Amino acid sequence: MTLIWGGLSLGAIYAIVAIGYNIVFISSKTFNFAHAQLTMVGAFVAYTGLVKWHLPTVLVLVIAAAAVALVAAIEERIAIRPVGDMHNILVTTLGASILLDGIAQLTWGSQPLSVPFFAGDKAISLFGGRVYPVEIFLIAIAVLLVVGLGFYSRRSLTGLALLGMAEDREAALLRGVNVRRLAFMAFVAAGALAGFVGLFVGSKTFAVSTLGAALALKGFVVLAIGGFGSMPGTLVGGTLVGLAEAFASRYLGGEYANLAVFLILVTILMLRPAGLFVRTKERVV
Amino acid sequence: MAGLPLARRIAAGPLWLVPLAAGILLILVPYFNLEYSIVRQLQLAMILSLLVSGLNLSLGFAGELALGQVAMYAAGAYTAGMLSQRGHTDIVLQLVAAGVAALLVGILTGIPGLRLGSWSLAMTSFFLVLLLPDVLAIFREDTGGRNGLTGILSPTLFGRMLTPEDYFMVIAIVTVAWFAVMRNIAVSRHGTALRVLKQSPVLAASMGINVFRMKLMAYALGAVPAGLAGALFASLDLYISPEAFSFTVATTILAASVLGGSASVYGAVFGAFILQFGLNQSTEFQRYSLVVTGAFLIIGGVLLTGGLSGLARSLWKRAVGEEPAAAADKDAARPDEVPAVPGKVLKVEGVAKSFGGNQALKGVDLVASPGKVTALIGPNGSGKTTLLNMICGFYRTDAGVIALDDRQLQRMGPDRVARTGVARTFQTPNIPEGITVREAVMAGRYAGHRATVLEAVLRLPRYRKVRRADLAEADRVLDLVGIRHLEDAEATALPLGQRRLLEVARCLISNPGVLLLDETASGLDEDEVERLAEVIRRVRDAGGTVVLVEHNFQLVLSLADEIVALAHGELMAKGTPEEIQNNERVMSEYLGIDPDAPAAPHVVLADVIDGAQEGVER
Repeated sequence: MTLIWGGLSLGAIYAIVAIGYNIVFISSKTFNFAHAQLTMVGAFVAYTGLVKWHLPTVLVLVIAAAAVALVAAIEERIAIRPVGDMHNILVTTLGASILLDGIAQLTWGSQPLSVPFFAGDKAISLFGGRVYPVEIFLIAIAVLLVVGLGFYSRRSLTGLALLGMAEDREAALLRGVNVRRLAFMAFVAAGALAGFVGLFVGSKTFAVSTLGAALALKGFVVLAIGGFGSMPGTLVGGTLVGLAEAFASRYLGGEYANLAVFLILVTILMLRPAGLFVRTKERVV
Repeated sequence: MAGLPLARRIAAGPLWLVPLAAGILLILVPYFNLEYSIVRQLQLAMILSLLVSGLNLSLGFAGELALGQVAMYAAGAYTAGMLSQRGHTDIVLQLVAAGVAALLVGILTGIPGLRLGSWSLAMTSFFLVLLLPDVLAIFREDTGGRNGLTGILSPTLFGRMLTPEDYFMVIAIVTVAWFAVMRNIAVSRHGTALRVLKQSPVLAASMGINVFRMKLMAYALGAVPAGLAGALFASLDLYISPEAFSFTVATTILAASVLGGSASVYGAVFGAFILQFGLNQSTEFQRYSLVVTGAFLIIGGVLLTGGLSGLARSLWKRAVGEEPAAAADKDAARPDEVPAVPGKVLKVEGVAKSFGGNQALKGVDLVASPGKVTALIGPNGSGKTTLLNMICGFYRTDAGVIALDDRQLQRMGPDRVARTGVARTFQTPNIPEGITVREAVMAGRYAGHRATVLEAVLRLPRYRKVRRADLAEADRVLDLVGIRHLEDAEATALPLGQRRLLEVARCLISNPGVLLLDETASGLDEDEVERLAEVIRRVRDAGGTVVLVEHNFQLVLSLADEIVALAHGELMAKGTPEEIQNNERVMSEYLGIDPDAPAAPHVVLADVIDGAQEGVER
């Protein structure tokens, strides 16, 4: 059960990253390669706030969310908005992710930094397994996000506008939705979210400049399993990837963890290329 | 302006002489007694340019971002290294084995990676780079794991030991040879087909190109130079370790590709040399390498769409001078005799289709025969375009039969439908960038008349034969549509009317059993409509089967032999132009004319037609 808790919390991290990808994807049909790096920056900011500046946790969460939202806003302005060719967005957001990796390395060095967690680091027993408080928080955040966003998108006007935009950009435009502004806001919101969860993610994984790349890949695998744009899919995908990783490294050895996840990705792409929760749409000419 | 005549003179000669001369110079470098550090940088730059070139095939030509070059590079390096450890030191053997190993990695990872649109290949191949240390660790007995592979022996050629100078020449020769191969692919019909694919997968499929296979070909073929580079690298240092194949290397390759221009052949060399010599030199740079590479990709992606080579090309064009604008003569030579266009019978029976709860088509029948123009009309939302897309195989039918002569089409994918003989044009002409009118038209023959990549690379007789036929046929169909005088112009630069004619020519060159024209007159002025009508008549008289989906009622009346009118996904009326003109339902539902109104019908009709035409020109 300890293993399962570990796997589930790991999967929750990946799911949270995938949710960030999804928010951007739904609002602007673009894929922000650098989203995982935003989470990484959030973890670093949390480290600085808690360890260097000794600020209270709540304040650190707010600062991290604001700081990363700002980074996301800058990224949108320089690496997404001016790009004419959709093909190039993949290249520019990848560039942004590498840039953030580099800046993080220069600012915080390449040694893993431990981010303290406010609820302590004493494992407790739950359902016959040992689990750390931060792991419970991560799982709870992932579930709450999916439920909350699902609710938000169906009940609020902004949420409905976002869904409409995802369905048909032009139609939304004609209906008076400021598509560009909304897409920008969604992008920044995804950034704020990444900053907010940075503290939790960093507490589990350490803040380290290679975190972004690892999270980006696993987050993508989660997305591929659940299907692009599907929020509930991220929970299923996260669970699958987290457990696979935990079990593979426990029973086969650490070097098999990534391989196991890769095999899941390949299997999903071969059997259901659109993911488990998205129905394949027919192509329109 | 003294440079101008020289530039013109060089432009007049065969342009491949320039890179060839540069390549020979490179091979002869060992005779120049250069400093060791420069020679080493040159060797690394050549290896890097091989890697970049492989990426260009996938990113620049097929339009798929891939980061897995490094994994193929590693596959090549470890294959060669392990062969050498076991005493197989012949460099030719190592190169071949490394190339094959890399190709296998390319095919195996490309198949899942290319199943789902653009991001999945990027991510799957990115994952591959991350997996590399793990895989090497799992097989640490053979690969040395994290400690690296030692004990690689000096390379030999036909039993003779190679000196460092010899080995430099080997690297240079392999590099030059690969770029010759790459150039031959890029200027061949395969290069054009890749551009079609990059422009639009829908277009590629409608021209009979299997999108998945084509992308896989580009991606997997790009693995070959990476494998060669790996083998060359293994025998250069006689030591390889996982560190040489890190993610940083992957991003350097990408940066070099973007800098040099992904869609060019020699841009890879520029990009690789600049990064190797300019940036990797200083140790100070190492600290900032990620920041610089990242910034580079952003700037490159935003500003330099064509990379440095694109910039150079536009400067070059300015130096050589604009091509004399092709005289837009309206009375361009038109052939008196039109060769036969053997059409087939297109039969649509009881075809139905629903999207969710919306029944778009409810059992529609249609027959289009050779030597006739069959027009499909109906108000917006009546199912015309849906029907067209079903015929082309972009939508699956829920029920019913679509057949061309005896071949049933309704279960085929769009590329197979196209190869069976269905050719179409698009409402908005769909024409790839950066190719001439002639090339754009010749691409229509790509799927129907095959010559393998190998035949194209080696310029074997079959490739030459197909190429000659491509050229001759292109002349023929360009004559037929009357834009042959524009054959050297850039295809995307043509005005709308001529781009429509170009699309018709591209369809005709594949000798289609049926020609589908999708709102082909919309947005054209009267002259252009008249020319288009003339071409359609000519195709019909030559025996072609033409299906015209059109809003311009006047054009339909003047051209069609038979008109099929749809409304709400059902057949509303069917008949000759006269019959349709007198059909009350068509008049009221499609044209909105009340038959009981006292006004003289033909006056009202003309007004409505103008209105309809305007409505279409958005």
